[in-house]
Amino acid sequence: MLRAPQSRTEVGPVSAGVAGAIGALYPFLDTRPTDVDAVLAEVARSTAAKAAEIVALRESLVAEHGQRLVDCARRCAAAFRAGGTLYAFGNGGSSTDAQDVAQLFLHPPTAGRPVPAISLTHDVALITALSNDVGFEVVFARQVAAFGRAGDIAVGLSTSGGSKNVLHAFEEAARRGMLTIGLAGYDGGRMAECEFVDHLFVVPSASVHRVQEAQTTIYHVLWELTQQALTDEL
Amino acid sequence: MESSVPLAVGRAFARRVAPAQALAGDAPQIARACYEMAVRFHRGGKLIVFGNGGPATDAQHVVVEFVHPVIVGKRALPAISLTNDAATLTGIARAEGFDEVFAAQMCLLAAPEDIALGLSVDGRCANVRRGLTTARDLGLLTVGLLGGDGGDIARDALADHVVIARSDDPCIVKEVHVTIYHILWELVHVLFEQPGLLEPEVVR
Repeated sequence: MLRAPQSRTEVGPVSAGVAGAIGALYPFLDTRPTDVDAVLAEVARSTAAKAAEIVALRESLVAEHGQRLVDCARRCAAAFRAGGTLYAFGNGGSSTDAQDVAQLFLHPPTAGRPVPAISLTHDVALITALSNDVGFEVVFARQVAAFGRAGDIAVGLSTSGGSKNVLHAFEEAARRGMLTIGLAGYDGGRMAECEFVDHLFVVPSASVHRVQEAQTTIYHVLWELTQQALTDEL
Repeated sequence: MESSVPLAVGRAFARRVAPAQALAGDAPQIARACYEMAVRFHRGGKLIVFGNGGPATDAQHVVVEFVHPVIVGKRALPAISLTNDAATLTGIARAEGFDEVFAAQMCLLAAPEDIALGLSVDGRCANVRRGLTTARDLGLLTVGLLGGDGGDIARDALADHVVIARSDDPCIVKEVHVTIYHILWELVHVLFEQPGLLEPEVVR
């Protein structure tokens, strides 16, 4: 995951010192309760602003990705019906999303049909072996090469859209005839130019955090729609 | 691009609006939790995170946020997840039972100045409950990110700070939790950079 600059909370310095001789002798004897309250009030306002931000961002995705999510879910359902397995991958926070995607499809927390899904991010022995012997850019592609068959599904997440190991995995997955699904942030980065991604979902935000939050919603909704498609309700 | 949003998609996204908006109401509580977390970090404490299933992945995500900050130049703060060592997890589960997997690690790894962050989508996870109560007994600051009605963890006030995502859908609870822990990280750093708010101690 790219560590990129993003908007941050601005809270100005709040004066703290107690004036006069006492304050000079005991600089820590400040007006702390008031200061803390003032800062916390500002901080609380920024939390409310972020809540509004993510609600608006999700709303913008409905029109942009609504029909694509349905199309993608129908293809996923068809792949699972035909015996396909889903493989998920990503780096950093996105690696935890990959694991979440896998456990959601494999072991749904609510009523749902379990389908085969595996995350390629949690086998530390494999990942360190591949990184040490070949390079970090192949950690997912080599696993896709080992496990993937035509008709399987590859789900790759990258907030920047530029993670090389994710892009390599898509290329390998496409070569093997797998259905490829990409989630990216910002403008989609290199993933948006990648010919090997069948279904691309870009979250147009410059904040890594808001991108991750919206990506979580996208894969949750994709799972929900896939479940509906599996029971012919979509 | 326009009007023809499939009904199922519209419904799925609509269900997420109220729980995400409700977060604004929890802002003062989140700010207070962040302040106390910042004080703990300032004293040299570390963050210990745990949960089951989806929240196990969140525990690992929280660790990435704190140890490898998204904004260049922010200092790395110590955080560990109790969910990623399969050998330890299965070893404890076999010897002491699954309810003890987090509590037992807490006893071995926690120091009194640390922070325990337990995640549960419904507040009904026996091992998260045990993790939080053990942490509290050890003197840690305890924080619970819960969902649904908060379950027994909220009912029994087992954590110093509890934030509840207001949904019964575990997927939606998770989405609110992701926003909450992103905010926790960001605000801890904001408070960390306010001289005079934290105790005049040497930062280790």
